[in-house]
Amino acid sequence: MTTLDIADDRVVRAPSTATGRRATTYRTLLITLQAAIAIALLATWEIGASTGAVNTFLFSSPSRVGQVLVERWQSGDLLLDVGTTALEVALGFVIGAVGGSAIGLLLWYSKFVADLSAPFIAAIGSIPVLAIAPMTIIWFGTGLESKIVIVAFSCVVVSLTTSYRGARMADQDLLNLVRSFGGNRGTAFRRVVVPASMTWVVQALKLNVGFAIVGAIVGEYISSNAGIGHMILLGSSNFSVNIVLAGLALVMVMVLAFTLIVSGIERILLRWEK
Amino acid sequence: MSVLDITRVSKRYTQDGPEVLKDISFRAEKNEFVTIVGPSGCGKSTLFNIVAGLLPPTQGEVRLDGEVVTGTTTPHIGYVLQKDLLFPWLTVLDNVGLGLEIQGMRRRDARERARSIFAAYNLEGYEDKYPSALSGGMRQRAALMRTLVTDPDVILMDEAYKALDYPLKIQLESELLQTVRERGKTVVFVTHDIEEAVTLSDRVYVLKARPGEVVAEIPIALTTDTTRIDQRRLAPEFNDYYEAIWTSIGRAPIAA
Repeated sequence: MTTLDIADDRVVRAPSTATGRRATTYRTLLITLQAAIAIALLATWEIGASTGAVNTFLFSSPSRVGQVLVERWQSGDLLLDVGTTALEVALGFVIGAVGGSAIGLLLWYSKFVADLSAPFIAAIGSIPVLAIAPMTIIWFGTGLESKIVIVAFSCVVVSLTTSYRGARMADQDLLNLVRSFGGNRGTAFRRVVVPASMTWVVQALKLNVGFAIVGAIVGEYISSNAGIGHMILLGSSNFSVNIVLAGLALVMVMVLAFTLIVSGIERILLRWEK
Repeated sequence: MSVLDITRVSKRYTQDGPEVLKDISFRAEKNEFVTIVGPSGCGKSTLFNIVAGLLPPTQGEVRLDGEVVTGTTTPHIGYVLQKDLLFPWLTVLDNVGLGLEIQGMRRRDARERARSIFAAYNLEGYEDKYPSALSGGMRQRAALMRTLVTDPDVILMDEAYKALDYPLKIQLESELLQTVRERGKTVVFVTHDIEEAVTLSDRVYVLKARPGEVVAEIPIALTTDTTRIDQRRLAPEFNDYYEAIWTSIGRAPIAA
């Protein structure tokens, strides 16, 4: 290469350490305060319950909820309920969200098929999961299958439409470049459309974590013999707020766990995005 | 026989729309650096897309090594745009090897071949970075490497260095000229910059606007051997060529 060096453009972006340190301190402060607020709320609730200021029959207390969780863990019920719901969510999510994303991406191949099916997809998307759940019980029984179908149904349309929109927005110049190297439509799909849409696919996956868990709980409310939804329903029909709140706590933990898993998938799929 | 031969190419985007290109003919010989220069609105980019096979012409034909390739993209024509078109999800190494892979080379071999040219283009150490970590000039270098590594017969360049600041542009153009001379490449360079046209080219075609039409063909022979663009500007003939191109553009109404 030329030895001429009138412009050295090898500028490497060095992360400013001062800014980095300030950001870490800020995050630590935030997490500490959030934890303090949560502990304060739980402590107030607990103290209120023990002094009689809070009606424990209606509102329970953290220690009572904890006790329910321990008892159910010891009896094995907790693992059964959590395991059942987790399995329904995981399988339904894979079928609905991952399958929906794949269909949405593949629709890139034919704008005609996509346009043709658009109103039908919109129609399916407009059905509330609560409205279709009883039908799936009739079709697939009261076991695991009907819940998996409900979960998949809750996820599929969001993933499908979002990933299709992402696929459509793939940069035409990048597609042309693949063509100029002699690549066909399959190559363009694999090398450009799929990776370019990943940001969208992942966004839909994140949204669908919530929808999937709602789907599973709704399915269990309608008919089931295990699962967190089953546990909550059982608790409320026995006027046991302790059990209902223990169920709610488990739902929160489950949403958190699935969100973390999807965030991990995001870090792998979008590792180039900083 | 010319490597690239464009014969009487015309283009209308719609049947009764205005003629964007009218009867354009030009050729590029082997190892020749040909520049198409013209004002905005002269259809430079339309012409570029027709030669690249991304757009069919309304009339006329494009021949590569004597073979008609009109309206088809061919792996023997590589192109570089102002937009570097690096894939943000691929490392710089995989970006440079992308063309080879699409042309059917095994990934491992493509990587090895791509890796072998990093030192020559001053990008050593950036193989495993993503393009977002590169500066504009480095990105444009990587884009040129991706094209050169596939060894195309003709390289088309559309205002490739327009977005770079002046010293960097001079630097990259010097590198480009040295590379194409060393490796014996045929280049068709599209620009509106007369200085760029004179310092880089062996031959310049001047286009006028609306419709885009060739108004002059000017062979360039600077009495200097250097590939340094800043030195080439100082060649005694520079001003005469500059003037000649400027006058040919001036003959036509300049679109603002």
